[in-house]
Amino acid sequence: MTTPSLSIEELKKRACETIEKRKKEIVGLAQQVLANPEAGFRETKTAKLVSDKFHELGIQHESGLAITGLKGRIKGGAGSGPSVAVIGELDSLVVTEHPHADPETGAAHACGHHCQIGMMLGATIGLLTPEVVSQLSGEIVPFAVPAEEFIEVEQRLEMRDQGKLEFMGGKQELIRLGEFDDVDIAIMCHTASDMGERKFAMGGTSNGHVVKFVKYTGVGAHAGSMPHRGVNALNAASFAIQAINALRETHKADDTVRIHGIMTRGGEAVSAVPSDVRLEWRVRSSTPKVVVENSEAVDRCFRAGALAVGAKVNITTIPGYLPMRHDTKLQDIFRRTAVDLVGEPATLVMPTRRNRGGSTDMGDLSHLMPACHPYAAGAVGPGHSKEYLITDYESAVIMPAKIMAMVVIDLLADGAKRAKEVKANHRPLMSKQAYVKFQRERAEITEFDGAA
Amino acid sequence: MPSKEDLKRRAAEIIDSKADELTAIAKTILQNPEPGFRELKTAKLVAEQFAALGMQPRSGLAVTGVRADASGTSAGPTLAILGELDSLIVSDHPHADPDTNAAHACGHHCQIAMMLGAATALTNSGVLDFLAGRIAFMAVPAEEYIEIEFRDGLRRDGKIEFLGGKPEMVRLGEFDDVHLAMMLHTTSNPAEKSMCISNTNNGTLAKRIQFIGRAAHAGGAPHLGINALNAAMMAMTAINFNRETFRDEDSIRVHPIITKGGEAVSAVPADVRMETFVRGRTLEAIMDANAKVDRALRAGAMAVGAEVKIQTIPGYMPLQQNKGMAEIFRANASELVGEENVGYVDHRGDSTDMGDISHLMPVIHPYVGGATGLGHGATYVIEDYGLAVIKGAKALAYTAIDLLADDASQGNSIAGGQRADMTISEYLKFMRDLASEETYKS
Repeated sequence: MTTPSLSIEELKKRACETIEKRKKEIVGLAQQVLANPEAGFRETKTAKLVSDKFHELGIQHESGLAITGLKGRIKGGAGSGPSVAVIGELDSLVVTEHPHADPETGAAHACGHHCQIGMMLGATIGLLTPEVVSQLSGEIVPFAVPAEEFIEVEQRLEMRDQGKLEFMGGKQELIRLGEFDDVDIAIMCHTASDMGERKFAMGGTSNGHVVKFVKYTGVGAHAGSMPHRGVNALNAASFAIQAINALRETHKADDTVRIHGIMTRGGEAVSAVPSDVRLEWRVRSSTPKVVVENSEAVDRCFRAGALAVGAKVNITTIPGYLPMRHDTKLQDIFRRTAVDLVGEPATLVMPTRRNRGGSTDMGDLSHLMPACHPYAAGAVGPGHSKEYLITDYESAVIMPAKIMAMVVIDLLADGAKRAKEVKANHRPLMSKQAYVKFQRERAEITEFDGAA
Repeated sequence: MPSKEDLKRRAAEIIDSKADELTAIAKTILQNPEPGFRELKTAKLVAEQFAALGMQPRSGLAVTGVRADASGTSAGPTLAILGELDSLIVSDHPHADPDTNAAHACGHHCQIAMMLGAATALTNSGVLDFLAGRIAFMAVPAEEYIEIEFRDGLRRDGKIEFLGGKPEMVRLGEFDDVHLAMMLHTTSNPAEKSMCISNTNNGTLAKRIQFIGRAAHAGGAPHLGINALNAAMMAMTAINFNRETFRDEDSIRVHPIITKGGEAVSAVPADVRMETFVRGRTLEAIMDANAKVDRALRAGAMAVGAEVKIQTIPGYMPLQQNKGMAEIFRANASELVGEENVGYVDHRGDSTDMGDISHLMPVIHPYVGGATGLGHGATYVIEDYGLAVIKGAKALAYTAIDLLADDASQGNSIAGGQRADMTISEYLKFMRDLASEETYKS
């Protein structure tokens, strides 16, 4: 029996109808993830939930990729063609005060990734509509990826030492493991709380970055009776932070420099001169070149801190993310689809140079293949804070699920004509080998003894 | 043979008879304040007074110093009685020189008058006929460690080697033949009462520091600049971060000033200069703090990627006073002002180049009241010249009599009983080794 051939518009309509029909189930999945927040490389419950759903949907998949990642494969019924990944990020942040924080771990979805899992599964459900999938060529790859948030640096370094991972972002690690070797185009959609009247936004760029784990070693001593025998590692770190602040006037506005960090250990007991103080730091900027320049300046500040009081410092520099480069053709497909669904006034296209300041490992992927990382409304409150909440699941999950399903249909219907065009038009900024080499060159451990 | 008491009575009579004259000398110097190595008028006045007493003064020692000796009738130790010639610079002091801002805000004018009073009492009275050894009256330049740039210029011109008057006099051999030294400083501190014995003073090093950055338009291109002022700020922060490691008993004092902080507010500062002292109670403590200060200065440069030039200049040694001499002075002070009006302080945080002399021979550097206000400030004035000059002169004369009468038995026992910390040549080597210049590029 041959199915009558449907137009692309008709295919989109069918997929959206399925999503609309199973809306409760799809939002329920997102909310289930919200209730079980897990930080990067620890997303076992979330991965199980995705795995169960893949099973239920009859999707052939692999699990345990880069520890917790899951990659499904759905072959289109209309023959071979490019492979399009629909990505959802598994991980939460750690924001102890968030209303949905896990009381034990402090993990909380303060960046809306739970909606990404909902919309990834939602889009997949829509695309699995029999008369839709049968008319697509190529392959749909629903991909649940770990650890987009670059946090818990010390713990991840430990995992690196144990050989469990090399890079500390989920997509970076998946690239290294070859899990994107058979993917041609990658899309995802992130929630946003700064959308105003808009429902869907795209374009702009994000910062590249490197991550630092800094350990100051001083000399412990009784802070009351023998402070002269101690070397205060907290003072070394405080000096370094002030030195970093003294550099800020040298940052160019165009470079969107963001240098920020936290102290993960600031001393053991108030009665002792702190001898072990640890920092996690981040150096972000618009271009990898400026990231490297500022990374060196920040290292100098960390060394100056050690020199100031005669402490030792060990600086581990960890390769971070690359700036996001949206594929313009792919972005245009997103734009037209969004306009169809939510209308022109609710769709925003940001200028290419507009840098939101944050960083994502989707930027890394965007250096290797056509990729798009648009934003969906539905959230309120500053991202990464306790106030970041999804108040409108229709906008945050259902609408982007529909848009991503429609974009995949645009790409893979009609013999995957558009996907092939996007692929042909795209010039990758790096090969996978060049990427892995570049990132490995960023990795560095330096030591400096301020007393020597 | 007159007793010591007879000799002291004779000395007191002479001083009392010259009281108006001595006070007038102090006031003349007060009206003609001159900072260190510039004390030309003051030195001239001293030389004239020495000559009037029948001594043969030698002038121009260490630029402005004057020394005149008077010998007793038999062999014995040489006792130096010192007075400091120099003023400070305190522009708002009521007695400041309107042209130079020089002002006697530390009472040195009284020191010259009391030293001359003691000289009068001992040499013009017959007292000397009953003393052994010799008394070297010394008007010494530049005790206040100020105008470092000017003095460093004198150094570079070969006019001096050390920046303080007494170290320079030591270098020139003026202390080679001296065995005991004393002077008496004024004080305004009520806790130090009318006269005061003390034990130790901080020693100090001086530092001149230059942070070199890169100038750039502070609005248009701050990213091209390297901010030397930020380097200096960070260096001061680093110094503060080290303070908790300074021990109370070491009395460390590090107190920088910025002498140049940038040229125009619209430019990233590229040349910032600083001066500081590093003071402490012992040489070991000073050297430890100095190493921390140097490290902090380098850290400031490193913080912003600047360069720092650090010049370390020998300052003054910690003062440690001879207990035997102090006891003699205390007894004389008690007689002059009453026992209940003689104070004692163990340690003072300020510094004097009498500390340098104290490493070479037994010295005392006690205090006499009569002043009010804060030392080195605009309010420091002498209110009681009777105490600060007349009784001060008597205390010095009495102590000299105690040391050198009786065939200098006490003077000999004190001079022989204290082993010097350093020989003069060891001292000079130590001072020269201390001087250093370092350029640190981050």
